[in-house]
Amino acid sequence: MGQEEDLELYRSQLLESMSERPSRSVRGLVDPIQVYVNERRVGELKGVETEATLHVHGVDHVETVQLRTEDGQLLGGLVAPEHGFRTNRVRLSGDAVELCVHNTVQGGALSAVFVPAPSFWSRTRNICADLAERWASRRPEATMAYGMRTVAFTQALLAVAVVGLVVDRTMIWMNPEHMVASTVQTGTLSTASITEIEQLAKQLGELRLMQAKVGEALQSQEKGMTLLHQTMARLSSTQESVATSVVMVKEEMEKRQEGPERDADRPTQVTVGTGVVDQEQFEVAIHGLAADNDRLSKQIAGLEEHNRIVTAKLQTAMAHVAKAIEQSPERLVAREADMARKHQLVPVVDNRSSTQSQPFLFWVTFSEGTTQESIDQWLNGMKGHKGAQNEGWQEVQILPPPVPPDLFLEQIRGEKIIKEARLNH
Amino acid sequence: MSESYSELFLLSRQGEGLKNAERMNYRRVGNAQPGASQTAIFYQNDDSGNNGQNPRPEHRFVQCSRRVNAGTIGVATMQNTLRKSYMIADRTATVSRLEEVVTTSDEFDQVVTQALPVLLDRAAGYTKRFLRETGQWSDDIEHEKFALRWGSEYLERFLVCGRTEVPCRPLFLFDSLVAKQHSKPEPFCYHPDLLKPLGRFLDGLVARAVVSRDALIALYCHSYGWGAGDVISVTGLNGLESQRIYKNFRRWRESGWQRTMDEMGLTKPELAELENQRQRHRQRFNSEAERLIRVAQGHYRKSEPDHYPCLSRSQWGEMFAQGYGCDYRIWHLALCLDCMQTAWGLGSNGSSAGEKPRLELQVRP
Repeated sequence: MGQEEDLELYRSQLLESMSERPSRSVRGLVDPIQVYVNERRVGELKGVETEATLHVHGVDHVETVQLRTEDGQLLGGLVAPEHGFRTNRVRLSGDAVELCVHNTVQGGALSAVFVPAPSFWSRTRNICADLAERWASRRPEATMAYGMRTVAFTQALLAVAVVGLVVDRTMIWMNPEHMVASTVQTGTLSTASITEIEQLAKQLGELRLMQAKVGEALQSQEKGMTLLHQTMARLSSTQESVATSVVMVKEEMEKRQEGPERDADRPTQVTVGTGVVDQEQFEVAIHGLAADNDRLSKQIAGLEEHNRIVTAKLQTAMAHVAKAIEQSPERLVAREADMARKHQLVPVVDNRSSTQSQPFLFWVTFSEGTTQESIDQWLNGMKGHKGAQNEGWQEVQILPPPVPPDLFLEQIRGEKIIKEARLNH
Repeated sequence: MSESYSELFLLSRQGEGLKNAERMNYRRVGNAQPGASQTAIFYQNDDSGNNGQNPRPEHRFVQCSRRVNAGTIGVATMQNTLRKSYMIADRTATVSRLEEVVTTSDEFDQVVTQALPVLLDRAAGYTKRFLRETGQWSDDIEHEKFALRWGSEYLERFLVCGRTEVPCRPLFLFDSLVAKQHSKPEPFCYHPDLLKPLGRFLDGLVARAVVSRDALIALYCHSYGWGAGDVISVTGLNGLESQRIYKNFRRWRESGWQRTMDEMGLTKPELAELENQRQRHRQRFNSEAERLIRVAQGHYRKSEPDHYPCLSRSQWGEMFAQGYGCDYRIWHLALCLDCMQTAWGLGSNGSSAGEKPRLELQVRP
């Protein structure tokens, strides 16, 4: 039972505090207004008697905006749509905060502008402007020349003053008996001529012009102030984003340096200068590598040229040897047998194998679309080896064929994968 | 009236006075709790009590009862039943009104202000259901209070933000707002130990610190027993910010603390008991408080800006030395015991270079 009462008391307390809420705000005039987006605090509006602006951009959509006092009182806010704009003007006694949320696919943006209550002079000026506007609506031809509210108001005042003077003068002229009881001032007026009145009107006209100029100056100053406020707002926004970026960049640099720091046990402080030095070192190393690469390329080209020359010489020599074998195989066999006898190393019966141990070289080109696998198979079938390559020709080394070279080449040309075959390249 | 009775009597909601129904301009709106020997019929005054100018709810409904058998009036025994029945009927009427479209902000305020109890109970009911479905509910007063507290939080937001949603049907808008809150991951900070008086006290302080700068600054005072000068020194603030800290402290002492205690449903005896525990078992009290405050801080720190993570000592040092990140320092150090220890001694004047601070919970500011 006690618990139920306790609970009921708590409920009543909550309801009471909720119904009293608007009167419980203790926001001071100079206290900033805390701004929350999606229930996260994003900044504050510090306007006192001037406008203050807060811009928030984020990748997340803005769902809710809340304005709170320093004591946590919820002053106002809005619920934003998923896409598009939503605006709201939150009134705080005389002041107001204009909220504008824009949600797009890329994210959400909030613009909060604190608009202070207008000062006494500002209110007076507005009232005058209103009056002038009304006057202008009745007498448009009198104000068209100037086109400004202030001027219109001044004109209205002047017109009333002049009319008043004229009426006064007329009354005096029409009722001379009132002169008896008049003061010194009225005596002066009675003696004043129409010329003096005209002079006075002229002076009033000059005054009117001066006021018009003052009005212009005030307007230009207002414009300047507006621009200044906008610039200040942009500046503060930029400053905030820069501060945020600085923190993020430092954090990022810290993370990047963590690995190397553990290995080398370097100090934590890493300056931007070291990064520049590293970059220069990298550039120098890259240049060195490029130079080495060029040098190596030249050497490879030279070696290839040399190799080609040597191969050509070898081909020539082999061709000579082949011709010589064709011309006098018996003589060659006899000389070799003689040599073998001299050295007592090789029996005569081996003279043929000795001759056959000399490799037979020829050049081939393969048909288009021939795979490397087919080439290797073909070479294996012939028990041959690949030699040099030149301009699409492949050198092949095999054991001397049992048939003459021309016949052998004819046989080779008959192969499916062979496009052309010849002895010399 | 279609039924015929031997006698008809009317009495106001409080049971003040009996009047003949037929002399007044009442119309029948329904029966309630008909029993074997007694019948209660509700009548509503079409004049709404005061010619419709300023309706007085206590006079809008009257009850009529009779004893069928004996022909005597049995008013006193039926009073409770009838009061409940009246509440049900009243509630039904309020809900019906909330279901209708409101077109202006003023109309929204008017309708919703009259329906605060209904909306509070509704939000608390939803919260209760959420806790049940997530296996966090228990039938005790702590959980009931927890549900009521979050119900009032939702209602507060609804009162302010709902005005911008007109034209709308307030009841449906309210339901959608609560559903949206409950569809978020961890919509509120729930821990069984945070429902006990000490836990509620800490939860209330930290939760309030998220939305109130006064409470945030006061958190230094409640956690470590520091005054405004200590806070300024520890967080390394400049002159302009310092004035603000003093103001925060003053406002918290004047009204903020009491309001927070009220909102958390902490009664005077509970607070006195907490104070008693603090004095008698200081070490145990503080170690339990430290365990619980870490839970609360871990949850509520998510309301900080994204770019306010925990930092290393060197990073804190750089921030203090260069004088930037005032807000960062104030917000994060108040809501993070570990970072407070990390950044200890980096504040101005080197006044805080002594032993690292430990949690010394203060119940009152």
